[in-house]
Amino acid sequence: MSVVLEAKRKRRGWRVPWNVALGLGLAAIVLAAALLSSWIAPFDPTRMAVGPRLAGPSAKFLFGTDEFGRDLFSRVLTGARLSLGIGFCAVVSGLAVGGLVGLVAAFAGRLIEAVLLRVIDVLYSFPDTLIALALVAFLGPGIVNATIAIAISLVPFYARVAYGLAAAERAKPYIEAARLAGINSGRLVRVHVMPNIGQSLIVMATLGFSSAILSAAGLSFLGLGVQPPSPEWGAILASGRNYITKAPWILIFPGLAICLTVLSFNLIGDSLRDLADPRRKRTS
Amino acid sequence: MTAFLSVENLSVRFETKDGPFLAVDDVSLELARGEILALVGESGSGKSMTSLAMMRLLPETATATGDILIDGVDVLALGRRAMEDVRGARVGMIFQEPMTSLNPVLTIARQMTEGLVRHRRISRGEAAVRALATLTDVGIPEPDRVMRQYPHQLSGGMRQRVMIAAALTLDPGVLIADEPTTALDVTVQAQVLDLLVDLKNRLGSGILLITHDIGVVAETADRVAVMRAGRIVETGNVEAVLSAPQHPYTKGLLASHLTLDRVMTKRGSRPPRLTEKAGAV
Amino acid sequence: MIRLIAKRLTAAFATVLAVILLSGVLVHVVPGDPVTAMMAQSVTATPEAMDEMRSRLGLDLPVWMQVGRYALNALSGDLGTTIRGNEPVARLLLERLPNTFMLAVAGLGIALLLGIPLGFIAAVNRGTAADAAVMIVAVLGVSIPGFWLGLVLIQVFSLHLRWLPVAGTDFRNLILPAFTLGLTYCALVARMTRSALVEILAEDYIRTARARGLREHQVLIVHALRPALISIVTVVGLVFAYLMGGQVIVENVFSWNGIGRLAVQAMLQRDYPMIQGFIVIFATSVVVVSMSLDILYGILDPRMRQR
Repeated sequence: MSVVLEAKRKRRGWRVPWNVALGLGLAAIVLAAALLSSWIAPFDPTRMAVGPRLAGPSAKFLFGTDEFGRDLFSRVLTGARLSLGIGFCAVVSGLAVGGLVGLVAAFAGRLIEAVLLRVIDVLYSFPDTLIALALVAFLGPGIVNATIAIAISLVPFYARVAYGLAAAERAKPYIEAARLAGINSGRLVRVHVMPNIGQSLIVMATLGFSSAILSAAGLSFLGLGVQPPSPEWGAILASGRNYITKAPWILIFPGLAICLTVLSFNLIGDSLRDLADPRRKRTS
Repeated sequence: MTAFLSVENLSVRFETKDGPFLAVDDVSLELARGEILALVGESGSGKSMTSLAMMRLLPETATATGDILIDGVDVLALGRRAMEDVRGARVGMIFQEPMTSLNPVLTIARQMTEGLVRHRRISRGEAAVRALATLTDVGIPEPDRVMRQYPHQLSGGMRQRVMIAAALTLDPGVLIADEPTTALDVTVQAQVLDLLVDLKNRLGSGILLITHDIGVVAETADRVAVMRAGRIVETGNVEAVLSAPQHPYTKGLLASHLTLDRVMTKRGSRPPRLTEKAGAV
Repeated sequence: MIRLIAKRLTAAFATVLAVILLSGVLVHVVPGDPVTAMMAQSVTATPEAMDEMRSRLGLDLPVWMQVGRYALNALSGDLGTTIRGNEPVARLLLERLPNTFMLAVAGLGIALLLGIPLGFIAAVNRGTAADAAVMIVAVLGVSIPGFWLGLVLIQVFSLHLRWLPVAGTDFRNLILPAFTLGLTYCALVARMTRSALVEILAEDYIRTARARGLREHQVLIVHALRPALISIVTVVGLVFAYLMGGQVIVENVFSWNGIGRLAVQAMLQRDYPMIQGFIVIFATSVVVVSMSLDILYGILDPRMRQR
């Protein structure tokens, strides 16, 4: 019996775990919604009174309408573009800055290393949403400021990851050999270290994505991020908050959109992390 | 001598990705009270799996078939709870790594007495009296102080003595010692082996000594079974087997042992026994 | 032990000082004039009023002196006054701190009470359907935004079933926000418990305990769970920090009268001294809690106790 099973498994080859499949599937749906929203959305997401106010889901208005008679389906679809856009920009810039800080900490000498590490550790012990909140409070609300604040809030995480990877790389013999050959630190990092840790860094980038999207929704919900009438999911929830008893669909659909998006990146990030870190794989 | 422990046609099989793997292949052996049987072989020969099968402590991916009788009870046929009654009470086991085999967050007293409380249903206080006596038996100085300590405060040799003492509190008919001295310093090794021989003589327990070290076999065991690739290739009296090995593998094992001369001259040539001082090991 | 406490105290003080300096600097790295930004929403933004505020906040001094003055004042307990009512920031925040702590502790309690058993079940039944189910709950938990969960709970339990009030600060009002936080963060606790236990269950001393013939539940609870709980103490500080962060938003959902609600109001009004004060008080609370847990760990773990 077991021999038969073996044969079957071999023929099918490498199988994608269910959680990765689910994560990738959800991410594909959200990405498609974001990219195609201008074409699929049946109505202009900010146009008022395309239908009755607070109408329930129907064939015409799939997710119902909000307090201004706007089509909720179109708003949630367009919201995907905002959330993914903010998330992407924040992750890319946060990763660039954080990665640089981590590399500098690992290769710029002992004093700089000690100081930077201490600062990174202090910042890392604060929740990233809170750092984003504090920053946006000083920068002022708005989509650009929110993105900047979220990007900065991710810097400690990325710096720490980049430092960890670079420090592990630093201990390898080829670095010592390159040093002895007289290559300076900057070139060493560019030519030798970056190609080796780049892949792991990109894996870690997906882990920041979900927290960036959560932060964006939270900021907008509090009125400190994307401002109405922009159809950001958190902003939709904030402005529709007083109507959710009469129209629970205003609560349900944007919320589910946030949950599924964050879930998809968490699923992908977790399994990528397991793949990237064999030590974790063994114990979990 | 009637066998307290008898193993017949024991096989241990692992299901792996590359198909089934036989770690123990049709092994039979017997052990009476008051004797030391050494199970010797290189790592991966299946000697540890044999002993874990007797305790029913094999990894979940392994299945054991055959008959294992301990004090007349067929161990492999027991349910989980009945097996828990046998473990510790009729057969005790000590392991290779005294550093990691004691729970770091529990006191020695707790770990010495929990077996007694569990099997004999006596109070912690009564158990402590018995535990103290056993610690003294295995040559631990200041046993009442040691009882209050935690494992990290003891040396490797002391921890292995505590492990042995904890197994002995329940006076099991058989003690399985899986490489009990491998992780210890050479001088401490000799003391622990002496202790095992002494316990066998005084308490009359049977000891199944698992080792890869033919020198250890020569110094302590009465009988020896040589294992290779899951099978027992040669068995018999220690003197007989070591002086005139029949199987080529045993010959190879003996030839590769550096202290061959010591093996041949055997007992009595060891340095005199050291009395352990507090904190000396 | 005393050395451990001294070390932790020094580190905690250094962190708080760093946060005070950071929040003092924060006002000055913002592009543009802070007074203009703060007064933007005010109708009384005459040039005189703005000058008056500038000198009241000491903004006419060089930056390093301003930051230094802020730090010295903060260390002596003076966090400045609010822009709006000219009230002392420290007093306003400290008045509400007990409310925030009450909610945080209740939320943490629920997170631990749910998360530890879930992690235990997953670790003991590793690789089975139960394990998979717990891990699904865990990944869902970290994916649901707390403010949305809060809104859903209000909708179901307060408005639909009418079991609990929507807002306020008495005991019954504590239930929903505490569960919102507890449910959100129990996922984190479950994961940490599981991974700690999985590691411990592979330890040699678990095999020793089994070889002693202990009942399986004794092995799991006394020999595995106890050391796991001790190691979990070290990460509870982190969970607490994240929970306090999430609580800032949750307090606003439930109109809970804590420092998070005060902070968001200040943020919307751009009341800079209040926001700075909030950062300092928040950081101090988190640092004090995590330092206490570190010391507690030193007491609980016999390996640390000896040092």
